[in-house]
Amino acid sequence: MREGMKTKQNMLCPGSVMADRKKKAVVEGIAQAVFGVCASFVILVTASITVYMIGKGASAFWKVGVKEILFGTVWKPTAEKPSYGILYMILTSAVGTGLAVLLSVPIGVLTAVFLAEAADKRLAAVVKPAVELLAGIPSVIYGLLGISLLNPLMYRLELALFRDSPGHRFTGGANLLSAALVLAVMILPTVINISEAAIRGVQPGVRAASLALGGSRIQTIFCAVLPAAKSGIVTAVVLGVGRAVGEAMAITLVSGGCVNPPLPFYSVRFLATAIVSEMGYSSGLHRQMLFAIGLALLIFIMAVNTALTKIVKKGAENGG
Amino acid sequence: MERSKISVRNLELSYGAARALKNVSMEIRGCAVTALIGPSGCGKSTFLKCINRMNDFVEGVRIRGSVFLDGEDIYDRRVDTTLLRKKVGMVFQQPNPFPMSIYDNIAYGPRLHGIRGRQELDGIVEEALKGAAIFEETKDRLKKSALGLSGGQQQRLCIARALAVRPEVLLMDEPTSALDPVSTRKVEELIRNLKKKYTVVIVTHNMQQAARVCDDAAFFLAGEMVESGPGDVLFSRPKDRRTRDYVAGRFG
Amino acid sequence: MVDETTLYHKRKRPAEAFLLSAVYGAASMSVILLAGMVGYVFFKGAGTVSWSFLTTAASVLQKTSGIGGNLVNTLYIAVLTLLAAVPVGVGAAVYLNEYAKPGKLVRLVEFTTETLSGIPSVIFGLFGMVFFGETLGLGYSLLAGAFTLSLMVLPLIVRNTQEALRTVPDSYRMGALGLGASRFYMIRTILLPSAMPGILTGLILAAGRIVGESAALLFTAGSGSRLPKPGAGASDTIRRLWEKAHESGGTLAVELYLQMQNGRYETAFGIGCVLIGIVLCINLLLKLGADRLGNKA
Repeated sequence: MREGMKTKQNMLCPGSVMADRKKKAVVEGIAQAVFGVCASFVILVTASITVYMIGKGASAFWKVGVKEILFGTVWKPTAEKPSYGILYMILTSAVGTGLAVLLSVPIGVLTAVFLAEAADKRLAAVVKPAVELLAGIPSVIYGLLGISLLNPLMYRLELALFRDSPGHRFTGGANLLSAALVLAVMILPTVINISEAAIRGVQPGVRAASLALGGSRIQTIFCAVLPAAKSGIVTAVVLGVGRAVGEAMAITLVSGGCVNPPLPFYSVRFLATAIVSEMGYSSGLHRQMLFAIGLALLIFIMAVNTALTKIVKKGAENGG
Repeated sequence: MERSKISVRNLELSYGAARALKNVSMEIRGCAVTALIGPSGCGKSTFLKCINRMNDFVEGVRIRGSVFLDGEDIYDRRVDTTLLRKKVGMVFQQPNPFPMSIYDNIAYGPRLHGIRGRQELDGIVEEALKGAAIFEETKDRLKKSALGLSGGQQQRLCIARALAVRPEVLLMDEPTSALDPVSTRKVEELIRNLKKKYTVVIVTHNMQQAARVCDDAAFFLAGEMVESGPGDVLFSRPKDRRTRDYVAGRFG
Repeated sequence: MVDETTLYHKRKRPAEAFLLSAVYGAASMSVILLAGMVGYVFFKGAGTVSWSFLTTAASVLQKTSGIGGNLVNTLYIAVLTLLAAVPVGVGAAVYLNEYAKPGKLVRLVEFTTETLSGIPSVIFGLFGMVFFGETLGLGYSLLAGAFTLSLMVLPLIVRNTQEALRTVPDSYRMGALGLGASRFYMIRTILLPSAMPGILTGLILAAGRIVGESAALLFTAGSGSRLPKPGAGASDTIRRLWEKAHESGGTLAVELYLQMQNGRYETAFGIGCVLIGIVLCINLLLKLGADRLGNKA
């Protein structure tokens, strides 16, 4: 219809072919520019987040001192003589994430093996949607389950373990171990999905070669397929780490919330949870410190991402 | 006449409703090269995979009949298929090295079968690489990734990998179809040498190649084994008209 | 040593039986975890969910403890976020796939997309608070929250649109361009319609993230839970809707967090039920979409 009208117009006034073409070129140019702006917007957003975080967070490092912040163990931001050491929080984030990954990766990779290699299609048809749903559950719900279900259980364990140690400060089950468990469940879908994709991506020739050498199905999976999917599985682990380190809402309450060294039955505070639980009442240097913690998190995540790009690149070179 | 290494009796194979092999019976001599020829889709590759039961992994496949290896039916219920595949090795159409080092590729099979000793493995790796005539090219880069090798080298590496588990039979499914002429020549030379120790069954679509490497040959057409016998007889004086047409068509 | 003289001897592999059971064990654990969690939330919360729970706002005066206000806020934020993020995300994907020549710019955009998708939501919250809240003066408002979330879901939309554009066969492009269509015309009439299912997938996934998000909203959209008052007449309604966007408002997930923090688990589980219900619906939508796509192909 529209095309037809255009030709009619063109026939009526012969000079407009040029004008039409010109108009078309202008529209093309504008379209390309608009799309280009959209793409640059992504760069702009990432850059401004980085710049803002540096701008807001670096000043605290400047005022308090890098050493005092990173290696100080006393976090008393609201005291008369405030102290801003976040070493325990850094260690808690590291240990908590490490524990979560240690728990989650074996289960996740084995589940991925089940999904990608299992002979039983009907069982896989139950597990797969379950994993997808697990990935969609909001983190606050993990937190809710953590405090109302996991913490009481943990408290019982704590009571049993420390019955005879009067020095122990009871946490009611809100401790590092609980938080690590919650994180482990939270990163499980990430680990499963990415490992599964990696396992499925292994060349079929690898399986055939191993089977033809007299490998059993299990040997083939664990000795040939998994090593061939190595870089994908490492990607899964790294992304899991990224998710666990940045998670806050699920574990603010579950972890107890006191700044303590990261021991399993201690009430602890993570980097990300410190921001969430203190931002509401913070001001001045304390507030800048929370931005400094955010900056530290951001730098860590970016480092992880860069490492990831390298791993994937290397994996592509090795064909794994 | 010597006893055959492999004898196939009334082998039937079907995927769902499609019959891929129809009542195939044939004898395969030990320490000789047997070539399976025929147009594509005639069932020769399927037949080859029946000899080490690689078809077991294909979904919906049904197999009847028997394949005897040294007098034992490999389709017997009691058979340990991993041991069978250790004895009957396979080389595939596409070179398929593992994404690991050259050394680990060769040592993979022996390790599966429980060999762990460093020295023993070193010996096996060297022997296998020499057996596949690729030792000289790789001895200085055993720790490097196998994926860095050329296509022809990769295929000989795969042959070496198959030899490392000390098989008795070697099945080759169009092993040179993905290779350039020079590499093809090298692999053919290797095949002729291999028959001193191994029973080789090779599927090829290239009849000149079959004529160059084989002692015996079998012609497949539409799931049937039409004719088998010594290679020179099959190629020069085939008994069956269909074989004659195919051979003539290919050579002429 | 195994007897290798005969094939008729199945080897026993205890280690493998163990590994196999580990594989099955891990898989069933994932299922049990999920079923247990979802079941527990429904068990604890289903009793709380009622019509008045869903439609009234929490009020001490009227002695109601409903989440109607939060439900409206969630819808508000979801719509505003998608309105902001979808055009930009789709535009960026079109540029990357259809216009840009491979080179530094593309790599930079892809790297930043990757980075953006890895940034924890707490950081988005901090950024949104200072940029939208303070620099742009939006304070704690639904608008500030929605803008913050739109940055967060941007990578998701870019990535899904790109995937979808990649699956459109080149012959479509060539065909249209060969007929003399301009590139923009081709994109509008051929490419975007063919990529629509993929774009919708991205949109639904983004909606899922928005509904579940809390950390990025806590300091941007705040926690208000008032129900909007119906306006008199169309223009008044629009004015009220616009005003509402500038008010603070907590979504369901934020409200859940606050209830949980104050130890009111009953309400928290009730909200949990609603949230899981929404997530279930979203997964169902995605599944249906995927099935329809599968049938088409």
